[in-house]
Amino acid sequence: MTTERPGTGGPGVGESDGSTAPDPASNGAGRGGTRLAAHDLGHGFGNGAVLEDISLAVEPGEILAVVGPSGTGKTTLFRLLAMFERPDEGTVEVGGDDVWDLPEARRLAVRRRIGMAFQTRSLFSTTVEENVSYGLRVRRSWSARIRDAVEGLFGRDEPSDTVEKALRTVGMFDKVDRDAGSLSAGEAQRVAIARALAPDPDVLLLDEPTSNLDPRNTAAIESAMRAARDRGIAVALATHDMQQARRVSDRTAVILGGTCIESGPTDEVFESPDDDRVRQFVEGKLVY
Amino acid sequence: MFALGDLNLTYLVSITAVSLYVSTAAVALSAALGLPISLAVGFRDFYGKSVVTSVISTGMGFPSVVVGLVVLLALSRSGPLGTFDLLFTPEAMILSQTILALPVLVSVSLSAVQSVPQDLRDAAFAAGGTSTDVALLVVREARYGIVTALLAAYGRAISEVGSVLIVGGNIVFSDSTSFTRTLTTAITVEARKGNIETGIALGAILLALVLGVNALGARFRDRTPGRNGRGR
Repeated sequence: MTTERPGTGGPGVGESDGSTAPDPASNGAGRGGTRLAAHDLGHGFGNGAVLEDISLAVEPGEILAVVGPSGTGKTTLFRLLAMFERPDEGTVEVGGDDVWDLPEARRLAVRRRIGMAFQTRSLFSTTVEENVSYGLRVRRSWSARIRDAVEGLFGRDEPSDTVEKALRTVGMFDKVDRDAGSLSAGEAQRVAIARALAPDPDVLLLDEPTSNLDPRNTAAIESAMRAARDRGIAVALATHDMQQARRVSDRTAVILGGTCIESGPTDEVFESPDDDRVRQFVEGKLVY
Repeated sequence: MFALGDLNLTYLVSITAVSLYVSTAAVALSAALGLPISLAVGFRDFYGKSVVTSVISTGMGFPSVVVGLVVLLALSRSGPLGTFDLLFTPEAMILSQTILALPVLVSVSLSAVQSVPQDLRDAAFAAGGTSTDVALLVVREARYGIVTALLAAYGRAISEVGSVLIVGGNIVFSDSTSFTRTLTTAITVEARKGNIETGIALGAILLALVLGVNALGARFRDRTPGRNGRGR
């Protein structure tokens, strides 16, 4: 059973309470803003349910931390939110549309409003610039892509402003021409986040983006998360790092055993949790 | 006039040209057939997939004389493909070499396609790619292995003797130009005649050709970035 705090709205983590989360209207001026919500999600694989009855939402201009120990279903949840697969139960809504009720072409358009970066190294075997521009290229028509490929045979263009902006957000523009295979793990993760940011998504999903990274790269990625939030992007962060959740998020949802058991403004969840298991978990006394 | 034993330049050029033509055409045909098979098998999980991959791998060990015999029967006047009148032509040799090169190409390229990490496919999907975009990305990521598959298939084709001897007939015209004689079958002829030096000279030319094709392939394979290791 999810513990919902007053004023958190909707199912689980819903609307901003205005106290800890920045006002979406004050961020990302001119940006429409898109809400990503999950309702009663349930999903499993061959050997049983991984997620049960999960409801949460992330609003434009806020960072939602989804915390829980490793193996509790955070990655499965994020894959469902990113539309990798259809949930066994419940719905995923983007901007009010149930994504799996949409025709395929519209579902693709909705999917392209979501950016995602993963826990594992996931850069393509090419340059940093080509990695970051990948999402932009696949959105172009085939004729434009073929023309670009032919022009590419006769010399390379300068990186586009969009690519430059995304790389500057993660502090990696100086490595734009580098081979992605030569980057350190932290640098690669920052480039992966730039790739997710380049198409200017409405929603950004980050699945354990800083696990095993050094403090410098972690700080750069957290700074990029805040910059995305300030541009009005709805940012969801899966992490098992309690301190990180406290540092960067406006709201927190705690998942234990595949179920969201408490959600609300981050300060309240950490300082006065309603659920005893959450209290033990944030105090490091609940070991899974 | 250039000559080495019984060899003259016309003869040498024509058997080299037939070797290159037959092998290149066979590998091109194998690639056209084999790469889509590799992608289809590599991308999908289906019942019996392990049996299919085992059959493909087994095909790498096809004895070439057996393949030659089967193609000979198929192309003979009373065979199912007899109406095409291809027996003892370069096209018959292309057919038998394609059958021999195809399993090599599919097996090696399938392995390359399957070795592309799922994380990269997920990343392409998450960046807004369609299934076609993801497939193209996988081909790009697997290019190293795919070029290796093409080179392995080329090596299998150009070094082939048994089947091309059976279906090609090892024919040379009276003006010393080759119709179906290749470098490999010419070497067997010279060896039978006891012209070991000439056979060795032809072997050196064959090796130089294989080396040249491999060098070209390696140059293409290593030209693009991203293969300097994954991380420091």
